[in-house]
This record gives sequence, structure tokens and C-alpha cells, in this order.
Amino acid sequence: MARARPTVAASLTALGLVLVGSVSAGGGQSPAASHSFDPLYNAGERVDGLPLAAVLRREDTAEFVSFIYGDCVAGDDAGCAPPAEIQIWPACRRNLGLYDDATDSGAFAEPISLRGVPAILFDDGTRLELETGRSTVVVFAGTRERVLRIAAGLRALDETVLPGLPLPKPVRKQGGDALEC
Amino acid sequence: METTPTLEDMHRLALALLAVALISLAGTPALAHFDGADRYTHTDCPASAANRVDPINVVFAGWGTWGRAESQVESHASWTAASGSTQSFGEHGSCGPLHTQRASGNGSRFHVRLRGQHPDSTLGWTALAAAHHEDVVAFPLPCGHAVDANGPAGSGFDQGRDELERRFANAGHASYRVWWGNTQSFKQCDGDYAGSDGWTVFIQLHQVNH
Repeated sequence: MARARPTVAASLTALGLVLVGSVSAGGGQSPAASHSFDPLYNAGERVDGLPLAAVLRREDTAEFVSFIYGDCVAGDDAGCAPPAEIQIWPACRRNLGLYDDATDSGAFAEPISLRGVPAILFDDGTRLELETGRSTVVVFAGTRERVLRIAAGLRALDETVLPGLPLPKPVRKQGGDALEC
Repeated sequence: METTPTLEDMHRLALALLAVALISLAGTPALAHFDGADRYTHTDCPASAANRVDPINVVFAGWGTWGRAESQVESHASWTAASGSTQSFGEHGSCGPLHTQRASGNGSRFHVRLRGQHPDSTLGWTALAAAHHEDVVAFPLPCGHAVDANGPAGSGFDQGRDELERRFANAGHASYRVWWGNTQSFKQCDGDYAGSDGWTVFIQLHQVNH
């Protein structure tokens, strides 16, 4: 996993911007590398009292850029859940349509509309997924209230979308199906 | 004309009530539904988002009691070590500790924790499992086992799931994957992060143990 822990949060955000360029460039050996996060979203250098602590990148069996907020203490044989995380996936890899058949195992899903786009709350509201543009934004946090506060603070790193304002509508194929990768 | 109930009448009434109770009990469905709503293990109970530890990425089904799952993990994957810390699973609105765990050794190893559930009318007996590959961290500070960070083969969680899927497939067990979306990242004791890619494998077990 690509991981960065610079000393200042600003440089983490800068790394995020660098990742945009590398992800959008395409041409890599991984087919996922041609996907574009246009743009990337996070909640700034601090959200709900939590500092931006790490920026992760997965480009293997999963594909996303992740912004970790806050810290936790892991032990021997026991990892820990950071207080909050925002993952940005290409909508062609992860979208709300994946849950059409996957919620029959007792998982409760609550469809909502948030900042003008479709979204679903899972896991008692501790996970939110929303589709915007060609991306799916996934927010993890300890409570539903914190998840929604973080969602309200989402902004595009290229500043084309500001916190609290409507998000771009999802881009889908004619007929409403998700885009293909 | 009113009559006073005799002792014989009272006995008949008692027998009738007993019969109704027995029929009612016999008619109670013996199968509870499979509950995969909580898709993470927890350090302890009660389960909460704050004490999540590992993503659940394997479900043993069919004859997937935790005992059969344990036996067949030993037989097909040769994971026979039983060491590891306890963790808890949430299901059907409650929370309980793992039923068993197996690992491929005591150092760098594959490791899986399991907890069984009541049978499901479609899936049969099921057991939830959280599998991963972990290394022993010695530098810069020894901290014990840490799940592998993400790499070309996925995270340590994905590697553990894939290894079980492969071993059971080689032994003739059918399996399929379901998107669960439990991709939350978990910080490990070496400072790295690891998370599932969101896919859970359902592995069919048969009745016969090995």
C-alpha cells in the first residue's frame, strides 16, 4: 500500500494532489491505472476535530485513494479502526448498484439523498456511500452523526466543489447503469 | 343448563392445552436466518464501530458449523496452530467471542478466527470467519503480529481469504464471492494500514469431517 505520513497535514493534501496526476495519467500496467478521479474529494486538513493523518492508495484487488482522519493505537495481533476515513473509488469499480443483491444477509441499508446525489447509509449509519461524477465516495466513522458531518464537509481537492454545496450528479450510462471500466 | 366440570373434564382440558403447546413448539421454525450485518470482528463486546479489528471475509456454509470449519481448515489448509488473541463477533443483535481460531504457524502466518451461527433455511449451517496473513514485526520496535499492508496481491486480509478459497477449491469445495463493501482500513502495530477489498467468499462445506 502506498502510504504517506509527512510531518504536516498540508503536505498530505499535496500528496493527494500528486496522486490525482498519477492516477489520471493512465498507461500503467494495471488496468485500473487508467481510471480518473476527477476530482478527488476529502474533508480538508481537519474535520470534526480530527486531523488528516494519512493518505493511502490501493491499486490492486481494490482501487481507491483513502484519507485517514485521526489516530488509534494498534496492538499485537489487533489492528485498530481510525476515527474516520474517506475512500474515493472509481464508480465503475464501486457503485450503489453493487448492493442490489448484496443486502439480503441482514445488512440494513438506508437510501438517502445527500448534497443532491444518491447515497446509502450502512452499518447503523457508520458507513456512507455516495455517487458523484465518475466517483463513489465512501465515508467511515464511529457514529452516524460524524459520518454526516464529514459528508457535509466533503470538498474537491481542485476546489471545483466546496463544502456544503451540491455535488456533481453521477455520470452513468444511458439507462442508468454504472459506467464500465 | 350449566354443569360443574368434573375431574375428568379438567384432565381432558389439561391434555388439550398440553397438546396445543407441543404442536406450537413443534411448529416453531428451527432455522434462524443468516446474519451477516456486522461485517467486522471486535476487540470485545458490545460490538461497536470503534472497536472493530478485522473485516469478515469468509463464510463457511452448507454444513459450515464452526467445528466442521475448524476441522476442514486443518485438513485442507494445514492450519493447525491454535494460538492467537480472542476477538468477538456481532450477530442477531448480540455479541459473543470467537468459537475457534486456526493458523499456519506461530510466526509469519495465515490466521483465521471463526464463530458459528444457527442454521439458515438457504445457506444451511454457517460460520463467519476473518482470515488474514500477518507478519511478526521486529523493527523498529517489536510489536507482535501485524496484518500485511496492501500490495500487488491485495492486503493481508485479501491474501488470507484467497488462500482459504484456493485450498478449499483444490479439495473440491464449491465457493462464490459476494460484495460486502467492508473496506475500512485498520492501522496495524507497525504503523501500516490494511483493509479488505470488500469481497467475501462463501465456501460450501460437506457433512463429513476429515
